[in-house]
Amino acid sequence: MSASKTGPAPSDRVAIGITFGNSNSSIAYTVDDKAEVIANEDGDRQIPTILSYVDGEEYYGQQAKAFLVRNPKNTVAYFRDFLGKDFKSIDPTHNHASVHPEEANGVVSFTLKDKAEEDAAPSVLSVEEVSTRYLRRLITSASEYLGKKVTSAVITIPTNFNDKQKAALLAAAAAADLEVLQLISEPVAAVLAYDARPEAELKDKIVVVAELGGTRSDVAVVASRGGLYTVLATAHDYEFAGFALDNVLMDHFAKEFLKKNPGKDPRENARSLAKLKMEAEQTKKALSLGTNASFSVESLADGIDFSSTINRLRYETIARNVLEGFNRLVESVIKKAGLDVLDVDEVILSGGTSHTPRIAANFTNIFNPSTTILAPATTTTAINPSELQARGAALQASLIQEYEADDIEQSTHAAVTTVPHVTNAIGVVSVSESGTEVFIPIIFPETAVPARRTVLVAAPKAGGDVLVKIVEGNTHIKVTKPEPKKAAAGKANGSNSKAAMVEDAGESGDEGDESDFSDDSEDEEKREKVWKIGATLAEAAIRGVKKGGKVEVTINVTADLTVTVTTREVGSKGGVRGTLSA
Amino acid sequence: MATTLVSLPLPALPEGWAAEKDFKPVGKLTKDSAAQRAIEPVGPHFLAHARRARHKRTFSEDDR
Ligand SMILES: Nc1ncnc2c1ncn2[C@@H]1O[C@H](COP(=O)(O)OP(=O)(O)OP(=O)(O)O)[C@@H](O)[C@H]1O
Ligand SMILES: [Mg+2]
Repeated sequence: MSASKTGPAPSDRVAIGITFGNSNSSIAYTVDDKAEVIANEDGDRQIPTILSYVDGEEYYGQQAKAFLVRNPKNTVAYFRDFLGKDFKSIDPTHNHASVHPEEANGVVSFTLKDKAEEDAAPSVLSVEEVSTRYLRRLITSASEYLGKKVTSAVITIPTNFNDKQKAALLAAAAAADLEVLQLISEPVAAVLAYDARPEAELKDKIVVVAELGGTRSDVAVVASRGGLYTVLATAHDYEFAGFALDNVLMDHFAKEFLKKNPGKDPRENARSLAKLKMEAEQTKKALSLGTNASFSVESLADGIDFSSTINRLRYETIARNVLEGFNRLVESVIKKAGLDVLDVDEVILSGGTSHTPRIAANFTNIFNPSTTILAPATTTTAINPSELQARGAALQASLIQEYEADDIEQSTHAAVTTVPHVTNAIGVVSVSESGTEVFIPIIFPETAVPARRTVLVAAPKAGGDVLVKIVEGNTHIKVTKPEPKKAAAGKANGSNSKAAMVEDAGESGDEGDESDFSDDSEDEEKREKVWKIGATLAEAAIRGVKKGGKVEVTINVTADLTVTVTTREVGSKGGVRGTLSA
Repeated sequence: MATTLVSLPLPALPEGWAAEKDFKPVGKLTKDSAAQRAIEPVGPHFLAHARRARHKRTFSEDDR
């Protein structure tokens, strides 16, 4: 994630955030610590990642996208993922309706007629060159908007971008005269966009980021600990994404058209297919907002106009298989992280496809009611999912633009970023109403160290001498199954139906292949996350606490795993301090 | 970070409990208590972490 060496001096920088997707890109900047996505000269904030050449004139964004119908052979789309890849390893599925990728000089390339002269030979452009040209358009657009030349940017990349892909992207940006301050990962940009809101509280939480785009879906589990982010697991899928939803609608309307016009399948003609796809996407977007949407295309096939409507329920029914694919993807990555759905505090829906209400609604069913699902359909204060990455990138850009390139390089080096993360929680023991010991977490599992956390705990009502017992702890999932209905009915007399307790062995932190995702066969089964007290680390006494007093407990863990416990009665001087050397 | 307030009370000190300076070490963290992972070099708290790491400063030195 290197920054280029010969960039401008920090004081001369004009820095923005860029997200560069296969389907769309965005540019964003920050004013007064607030990130804003910039609308380009066409008024678009989601700018299609497409270039098109007509009579030597270069078009990009929405205008280029429109040329997919009339000028597909000179339009290049869906190329971002080819950066830094061998020709043999690319998937050209999405390039059927535009310029096809080919191998030239050992790199993925496209042949385009980009010059005005009738007889000029077409150019063979490498994917890097295409990216450079496209990035240049983004930078120009941002520069015009800001009224000064953009020099630098933070760019988001998928979590599975390898070094070759990063290098190719950096080279493409450098050729566009853009200093890349840093490449940051997409899910982390989304988390940062949310955490930077003024009303956001700094909390330790497990966040799932579902990045649902046009040609791919990427999901990450992120441990957010004191504002430090650690990616615990990721999953990538190229089957369940926005295009698959377009396909469902394309098939639906093509069949309807066929019924009225036997023998004229609009999917069999490239131009009709392009029109079908374009309108299907519009209809899909309309169904995210309204419960009804129209679909109408002039001269869809053989000069025949076509117009129809669909309601959201019907759409959700025919798209069910795709929609449920997103559920499985999310469930699989949580499992991969060794966690349970109950461990997840927040789900951030990011990317254009995240506007789909049914996807967010399905997620609410997978998770506990206490899990926040951050999507427009479920949370009114959700940030536009199409803007999260660009905003996060812009925020990061504003945080680091004053640093020398060398400084950024050193701070992002593995020597600084690779640190121990505690496996178990560290906490203190309290007493429940029924008199049993209860684990109170202070430092959560997967917290990067050095770390320091403080809690305030009530003393016994009467006050007096108090025990501060510091222990390790971890969670397990307790499953409570109701007794089989028949048997329960037979016995039922007086006593509340005794629930049979089944304890799940899968503990968080394990490679928990046993932490089952209940398939709802027992509909009233109750699953809850419970803390279990582990090994004792230390005990301390706070004496003579006054009635109704509180005790402050601070735990500090250093990089070499030395634990320091500091505890005192709130409002008193002194207190106890002890160290456990690792 | 906002300090959490816990309402479930701490236990009373057991009869006869005694330790030097009222602190009794029992266990410790070992190598097995932690796993090496990469934190993402992103956000204001990371910058604070990097600053501490590069200048070998502790939290309390950083507070001053
Ligand atoms: N309001 C909406 N409702 C439903 N889908 C939408 C909406 N807006 C955009 N989309 C879909 O989101 C997808 C594009 O997502 P995004 O803009 O995040 O692209 P991307 O990250 O470049 O995609 P990728 O790299 O996966 O191809 C497209 O399939 C588009 O149709
Ligand atoms: Mg994307």
